[in-house]
This record gives sequence, structure tokens and C-alpha cells, in this order.
Amino acid sequence: MTSSHDPQLLKGVLSLLLLHLLAERESYGYEVVRRLQEAGFADVLEGSVYPALARLEREERIATRLVPSPSGPARKYYRLTPAGWHALRAGSTAWARHTSSVDAVLARPLPTAPEEGS
Amino acid sequence: MSHTIGWWDRVRIERLVWTLDQRLYDLPTRSRVAIRREVRANLLEAAADVGTTEALRRVGGSGQLAQRYLVAQLGEGPRHSWVAAFWFGSLTPFVLNFVFGEAADAYRQGVLAVDPHADGTFVWPGVSYLQTPTTFTFADGYATQLTGTWTVLTYLLWIGGTIVVGRLWRLLTSRIRRPDSVTHTV
Repeated sequence: MTSSHDPQLLKGVLSLLLLHLLAERESYGYEVVRRLQEAGFADVLEGSVYPALARLEREERIATRLVPSPSGPARKYYRLTPAGWHALRAGSTAWARHTSSVDAVLARPLPTAPEEGS
Repeated sequence: MSHTIGWWDRVRIERLVWTLDQRLYDLPTRSRVAIRREVRANLLEAAADVGTTEALRRVGGSGQLAQRYLVAQLGEGPRHSWVAAFWFGSLTPFVLNFVFGEAADAYRQGVLAVDPHADGTFVWPGVSYLQTPTTFTFADGYATQLTGTWTVLTYLLWIGGTIVVGRLWRLLTSRIRRPDSVTHTV
């Protein structure tokens, strides 16, 4: 899945995605970006992800530690805190509720669409 | 890792890192240093992965990135600015003292225009409300002066102006503001 996503939708759920990825395993900034891209979010840029990680850290939902890198400067690894796990559970529940509500509306039958040009 | 990072690539990355740093002066020093290190490390890795040009493009300009970091660290909405407060607070005394000095010099030249060999003591009351009187002592046209000082009002205007220009009262409200939802915008 490499199609582009609605930036406004992405902005709303980026934190939730980041929390989930970091719950799966501890990662550093660029690794998180690559994992997002592998998950199909190729249009999520580093310029959005790094500040989002900084905000989650400020909110004490993720903690960090520096790990020496064999290929350059030390990497800053992020992992979830108990508050982060709590936020992930709450966010996942809210997201499931939103999507089911949206799906319910979108599943309703529509009248025949008018033909183009008529 | 498919790209070799040369010295020119490092220069381009450092340029972004330091222009970003210049735009983050409203953050505590510790935060700025941490952001510099992290952005540099990530950019070096991204440059080795996809090339420096693409890595820099994906980070965006330093202005946009700085704005996002400021929102991330200080929260949404209006913010204070230590940078603006610093410039106003440090430049205002220079400007005021220059203006007061020029005004006092104009008074001295006025006295000498009337009498190039003036003798005696002259008191200039100074800029109303902002300065205490300046005393000139003339001896055959040569003047020494006891310069007036700032009044309490001037100090209050200086401090008040610094607070207003830096919107420093927002420091109080930003301490109260707390995050609420995980699906917050970034």
C-alpha cells in the first residue's frame, strides 16, 4: 500500500501509530520512519515524525535512552512508558469506535448516482 | 546503506542542524542540544540510506521543522518568545541612552551657540518623566556634565516592554496547559 493518505487524517492518528510501533519494539527516530513507510505510510515525512516523538516524550508517554551506533552518532531509542501503554489502549479503543461509526454510515445504500454530463 | 556521505553532505546536514538550532532559542538549552544531536544522527543515517538531498527534503525546511518542534515542546496556541524579549531588553537601553545622549548634546551645543565661551553651571531638566536633570558645568566653552539617570517610569517601561514584546505572561498559561488526547495533532 503506497497510495497517499489524507494528511489531515494522518495528523490525527500519527501519535497512535507511533505508540503502537514503539509498543511492538523499541526504535530510534529514523527506524520509526522506515517502519511507518514499510507499513504503507510512505508519505509520512521525517519532519512530522521527529517532532511527534518529541511531543510524546514531553507528555511522558515514551522514554528514551542513548545507544552507541556503529555507523555514526549515538541513536536515541524510544520505548513506551506505563502512561504510553495506557494512552495506546485508550487511543486504540477510540479509533475502533470512530472507524466502526464511519463504516456504519458508509455502508448505507445510496440512491443511483446521476450520470456524468446529465 | 547505499550512499557514501562526503564532506559536502556533512556541510549540508550541519547547515540544516544549526539553522534549526537558531530557530529553537525559545526552548531550554538541554532540549536544543538533544534535538540537534537527534536530528543530526537521523539525517546522517537517512542520507546514507536515500541520499542527502532526499533526506533533507523529507525533513523539510529548518523553519517548518522548528515550528513543529516548538509546538511539540511548548504546545499549541500563542507562545512566549525569549528571543524577542532578549532583543528588546538588551537593545532598549542602548537606544534610550543614545537618544538621551543626543538630546543632552543638543542642549550643550545650544548653550555654546549663544555663548561660545560660556562659563557657569546649567541644568537641563532632561526628557520629561524619563530622565533626571543633567548638570553642565562650562568653563570658557568647555563643558563637563553630570548625566541624568533613568527615572522609575523609564525602568518600568523597559521591564514592561520586555514582558509585552516577549509575551512572557504566556509562560504562566503554558505551565497550566496539559495534553489531553493521544490523537492530538502534531
